[in-house]
Amino acid sequence: MSIPDRLRRPATALAAVSVVALALAGCSGSPSTGTADGEPVKITFQSWVPNIDQAVDAFNDSHDDIQVTLETITAGPDGGYATMLSAVQAGNAADVAQVGYDSIPDFLINDGLEDITEYAEGSADLFSPWQWETGVFDGSVYSIPQASGPLGQFYRADIFEELGIEAPTTWDEYYEAAKVVRASDPDRYIAAFAFNQAPWMIGLAQQGGANWFGTEGDAWTVDIDGDETLKVAEYWQKLVDEDLVKVVADMSNEWNADIQNGNILTWISGSWADAIVRGTAPETAGKWAVSLVPQWNAGENVSATWAGGSASVVLRGTDHPAEATEFAVWLNSDPESVSILTSIGAGWPALADTSAIESLQDDPEVFAFYGGQDIWDTFAESDAAVDTSWKWPPLSSTLFASLSDNVSAAVENGTPLVDAYRLTQEDVVAALTERGINVQ
Amino acid sequence: MTALAPPRRRAGSPAKWVLLLPFVVMFALFFIAPIVYAIVQSLFATKSSGLGLGRPETTFVFFDNYARALSDPAFVESVGRLVLFAAIEVPLMVLTALGLALLLDSGKARFPRFFRVLYFAPYGVPGVIATLLWGFLYIPATSPVIQALGAIGIDMNPLSSSGVLFAIANIALWGFAGYNMVILMAALDAIPSELYEAARVDGASTWSTTWHIKLPLVRPSIILVTVFTIIGTLQLFVEPLVLQPLTSAISSTFTPNLAAYNQAFAQGNPNLAAAMAVLVAVLGFVFSFGFLRLVNRKDSRAW
Repeated sequence: MSIPDRLRRPATALAAVSVVALALAGCSGSPSTGTADGEPVKITFQSWVPNIDQAVDAFNDSHDDIQVTLETITAGPDGGYATMLSAVQAGNAADVAQVGYDSIPDFLINDGLEDITEYAEGSADLFSPWQWETGVFDGSVYSIPQASGPLGQFYRADIFEELGIEAPTTWDEYYEAAKVVRASDPDRYIAAFAFNQAPWMIGLAQQGGANWFGTEGDAWTVDIDGDETLKVAEYWQKLVDEDLVKVVADMSNEWNADIQNGNILTWISGSWADAIVRGTAPETAGKWAVSLVPQWNAGENVSATWAGGSASVVLRGTDHPAEATEFAVWLNSDPESVSILTSIGAGWPALADTSAIESLQDDPEVFAFYGGQDIWDTFAESDAAVDTSWKWPPLSSTLFASLSDNVSAAVENGTPLVDAYRLTQEDVVAALTERGINVQ
Repeated sequence: MTALAPPRRRAGSPAKWVLLLPFVVMFALFFIAPIVYAIVQSLFATKSSGLGLGRPETTFVFFDNYARALSDPAFVESVGRLVLFAAIEVPLMVLTALGLALLLDSGKARFPRFFRVLYFAPYGVPGVIATLLWGFLYIPATSPVIQALGAIGIDMNPLSSSGVLFAIANIALWGFAGYNMVILMAALDAIPSELYEAARVDGASTWSTTWHIKLPLVRPSIILVTVFTIIGTLQLFVEPLVLQPLTSAISSTFTPNLAAYNQAFAQGNPNLAAAMAVLVAVLGFVFSFGFLRLVNRKDSRAW
């Protein structure tokens, strides 16, 4: 049934008005709160780190001129970043937000960050140089580093003792231990091969000596399928082919069940994973331990991070960049705050001098889970051995999606993992070029 | 020129506009406006330059995004996969719904009203929750069914690459068969009972009655159910999204909608996502209208 002519014009007008109203509503932003005299400046902070409200409360208690409201959002890679970027485009973003080092270029390419150089100068000395550099682009500062995720090996010390094996210190020992573990029980594996977890695979490549991204002049160099990476890929290919690792997504229901039952014995992950292990398998308290990541050559100490680490950024469009920067710096450098952050599992602090951080020196609750081991010493050793020349390019989300898809497909179809890395190289170069970015 | 001009009618009372207004406003705001916005978005792209760390520019690229989507092998593969899935799912769904409706309408069923509620109940479970529940049932580590079958020697892995489409079809069938069944039962209820009496008088068996009376008279509803199922199947999104972490068989471009979601929210390219979404919509139009064309012969319009 078609609209009769005499109704056509009013109907069209109505639809047009509605569309225009919608467009106008989307454009308006609300004016900011907070005045300069007497009233504290109110800013919002978005994060997904559980229990970070403790640090926010500590800030609010110690500051009269700035008050911070915490907004808990989904984890960045799972949708949190998309929320932040949409809010920036709509003009109503939070003031401070949690963003991983790997995603800072992504935010820059989407014009999501405020340049805070003038407010943050003078804070550079507080932080470890390589972590400070993750937020500096072209001489301008865009983020305050919070913590890195140096890799360590969480393992079931009790079951290892039962089986008569030591925590592996080299990848050869790891292979031998995997065989012993597999033979001990048909359901037991030394570790999961997490095809879904791009940061895990990238961390292993980094630990193998690879460096995927660099800049030459104003172009990026992309080297995802270099020799070091392929060496790592072939090693894990061997483990997968010989059924020595379980092909399952980490932090999934099945993996959680296996961790609880002692069917997966180790997890190479970042320092913040301590909170996850304690939360997933509380009944296994006292049975775990942490060691350094196995090395390619005996006696070396080469480590890597899980997607770099976390930072606090000031989102574009904020009305209070100075106050937002002040909060970000305090959150990530004040000893009391950093102590809270470490004990809630935020990661390894970016502070240059960690001697004043209480929870790093002694954290009985955490250490008890690991049979009394001071796991932070191990992570300190790991952090010192991280290759700090690693750079993150824009479109890291494309990198993660492509790597995860290609590795999943390789595992699914039985094609070599090395090809998955070659495909990822092609995908990432194509994606960068498509966006107009120079690639060598 | 006319001697007696007909009196000019009042141009419609305002009452009908007041009644229509809420619908028209909502329709325009939440249906037309987003579609227009998506089509406009799909004609642009954001480009950076150099190292890509500065402000990007939005440029008009006309149909470039569409060309990219159509030349992306992963996207084309996902469309092919979807068509294959529809070929399995649509007949399965329609036959199941029809079968259940005919059984409950046959008059020989015990407690038909109870079973009608029972079969409809899964529709009340939201898609994400349903997929999470079925996810637990599909993983050997957490599924009593698979473990029991394993104990008697039957090894089942619904989430392997050969089984995952059937696993998803199963979830969709479980959720929507009851809904479609209720539509068909309403149509069956509307058949006048004199026809059945006449058929009995003529000596028709139950099967003849079904084939010659019931099915032709509910044909419009069967077509409706088929079109709904085609459209719903072509939008497949929730099940692969929720099952993705559980299996390596589902990539982030498993279905076109999933690929669009990935482009928009994971890869920060809403323009390409909009182009993909428009392509999915066009595909839906083509299939539904194609199907309607097929079943509407000129001489017997069923729709």
